Amino acid sequence: MKKECIAMLLAGGQGSRLYVLTGDMAKPAVPFGGKYRIIDFPLSNCTNSGIDTVGVLTQYRPLELNSYIGSGQPWDLDSADGGVHILPPYMGSKGGTWYKGTANAIFQNIGFIDMYEPDYVVILSGDHIYKMNYAKMVERHKAANAACTISVMEVPWEEAPRFGIMSVDGEDMITEFAEKPKEPKSNLASMGIYVFSWKALRQYLIDDENNPASENDFGKNVIPAMLGNHERMAAYRFQGYWKDVGTLDSLWDANMDMLAPESGLDLHDRSWPIYARSVNAAPAFLGPQSSVTHSAFNRGSDLEGVVENSVLSPNVDVAPGARVSYSVLLPGAKVEAGAVVEYAILGEGCRIGKDCRVGGKPEDFPEGWGLTVLAPNCVLPDGKNVAPGVMLDCDGKEVPKK
Amino acid sequence: MKGLHGIIFSYEQRNDLRELGEIRCPSSMPFGCRFRTVDFALSNLVNAGTTDVGIVLHGKYQSLLDHLGSGKDWDLSRKRGGLRLLPPFNYQQNWGVMPFRGKVEALAHVRSYLATIRQEYVVMMDGDLVANLPIGDIFEAHLKSGADITVVCGNDSFATENGTYFEKNAEGRITQVLYNLNNPRGFRGLEVYILSTQLLKDLVDECSAKDQFSWRRDVLQAKKDSLNLGSYIWNGYAAQIRSIQEYYDRSMQLLNPSVRSDLFNPVRPIRAQVTDMAPSYVGADGRCVNSLMADGCTIEGVVENSILSSGVVVEPGAVVRNCMLFQGTVVRRNAQLSYIITDKHVEILPDRTLMGHATYPIVLAKGSRV
Repeated sequence: MKKECIAMLLAGGQGSRLYVLTGDMAKPAVPFGGKYRIIDFPLSNCTNSGIDTVGVLTQYRPLELNSYIGSGQPWDLDSADGGVHILPPYMGSKGGTWYKGTANAIFQNIGFIDMYEPDYVVILSGDHIYKMNYAKMVERHKAANAACTISVMEVPWEEAPRFGIMSVDGEDMITEFAEKPKEPKSNLASMGIYVFSWKALRQYLIDDENNPASENDFGKNVIPAMLGNHERMAAYRFQGYWKDVGTLDSLWDANMDMLAPESGLDLHDRSWPIYARSVNAAPAFLGPQSSVTHSAFNRGSDLEGVVENSVLSPNVDVAPGARVSYSVLLPGAKVEAGAVVEYAILGEGCRIGKDCRVGGKPEDFPEGWGLTVLAPNCVLPDGKNVAPGVMLDCDGKEVPKK
Repeated sequence: MKGLHGIIFSYEQRNDLRELGEIRCPSSMPFGCRFRTVDFALSNLVNAGTTDVGIVLHGKYQSLLDHLGSGKDWDLSRKRGGLRLLPPFNYQQNWGVMPFRGKVEALAHVRSYLATIRQEYVVMMDGDLVANLPIGDIFEAHLKSGADITVVCGNDSFATENGTYFEKNAEGRITQVLYNLNNPRGFRGLEVYILSTQLLKDLVDECSAKDQFSWRRDVLQAKKDSLNLGSYIWNGYAAQIRSIQEYYDRSMQLLNPSVRSDLFNPVRPIRAQVTDMAPSYVGADGRCVNSLMADGCTIEGVVENSILSSGVVVEPGAVVRNCMLFQGTVVRRNAQLSYIITDKHVEILPDRTLMGHATYPIVLAKGSRV
């Protein structure tokens, strides 16, 4: 079955900088924005862009992710020809290996891509929150007659040293690529989203695999090799909301952005819906004594206390007399009476006992402040105090953020 | 476990749903923010392991068809069995033009479908029943009791539009079948019946041969002595959505936590059509108390004691009290609503004031602009 364009979604990373949140699941499966998981964004973008064939490359702790994706039906990706495919590493007659790097992951699935004889392959990663029409990027790729098109966005100059930076000529063709340059020559940052002409990429992947010195990584090896060979490399300028949620702080930030329309993250826009696997639960109840302000919440929740500036997932309970502010509560988190939760991320199924104090305001802790993070299923006994910046594992033991 | 087949009746019956009933049958009335009434019957059946469900349709069923789709939201989109939609299709007689006069006529109408049922037993339900019934337990009780037909009743005589009421003896056998009562007495029938497929087919054939159409009169009343009619009393919440007043009162009961935990028992989850909307949001100056809310709402004004379906917008300064707002309702700045039911996509322009009463909630028809 020939397809003009298919997508490959790199979802195998551990996301080690999300620490306890990715203890049992890959980063793309981490809940986001109340009802979503991170992977809902690239998957919904695919289906909204008219890409109906998506390979999801999994490796680290795939159980949660696999069961979440299932048949792909929530994203309309359960079609008979195409649809979503989970692609783990595999054994062959000559042995097999784990995915050694992003390029190697695609290399190992050349057979899968060849089945669809695509002209173009879109390479996506599973750790970004954004809404993007990949069809427009493919159009740009075609118009530029490029071998590779990289989506870029302008970032503030002072932040440029944190990104992969592209220099472009007058036609927005890429002339130079520098990974985290100390003295950036441009402020166009790579978003880690690529469109390749499959014929070209296929050969580069084979060459890259044959190069023992290569780390088999797109950013480090494949893109520089293509630039070195003077392939036509186009930049695609993206404007709009985009955030890498690879760290606890950026994950929290992106959740807070959801509450602020001026951030540009508009999830109410019906023309570009973000789909998610739905949870069966009663409607959300806001109790007679509750005070919920500037917050998002979801079905199955029973909110009886004070909730402010927070993002609540489904089946969250906040008891009377409890207060939750500037926090992100993942599915099934319960906060019992009298407890106070501030500037915290509570993992799935966490239970905060009565009169606990979790986290605190940055202004009250001028030194050593940080987000307080509780691993999924962490249970705090009544009256427990968890200081700002502390991270607890599922047994309630403190673990360092390093 | 012996197989149990579900039949849901969703044909037009006498009701007093006013504007809400003009565009939909009672089975597709929104209920509890994110559900339709038929979701309860379907979920009850699916939770009891029923894999095959037929829905008898007649009149105003377009809204219901939109809602049901292939049945996949209830896991009823199956290779074998699954959801069977049964619009009028027996044209040998003049049926299909007139509304069905009763369940037996409706069943005679889909007689060829009855012949294809592969399960030994059938549970019949009305699509307008809102309850979380343990159909599996009821079925087990039916098998154990040796009754020919098990009649499921609520433990009250609550007056419901066009209701059926039963009296029973100490052994639970039905002794009286009553309807059209001015002062209801006995146990309120939930229009849920379990019997063997063979008996159902025999009864339908016998009645059609005599041009009888009514389940309550020609089967239950006429045969209460010759057939063993058993009973199962359900003590939980059970609403029948047949009039605006009943609809409003029963909906508002959901604000009571014990009613919610009974109806939304997580052991038997109620499944609904999937909506892809963002989480709901209450703004910095919004206030929303003692209310239930589905996804995708944006509340910047005041909401009290209300039930909001998905995508409702309440702008700053607007006040909504004791209301039921259906999907996509928009309440503009400084509008005031009290005891109002708005159908889908109603818009209340700025500064409008509308007031009903607990005994007469005002209904605004779909798409109206005030």
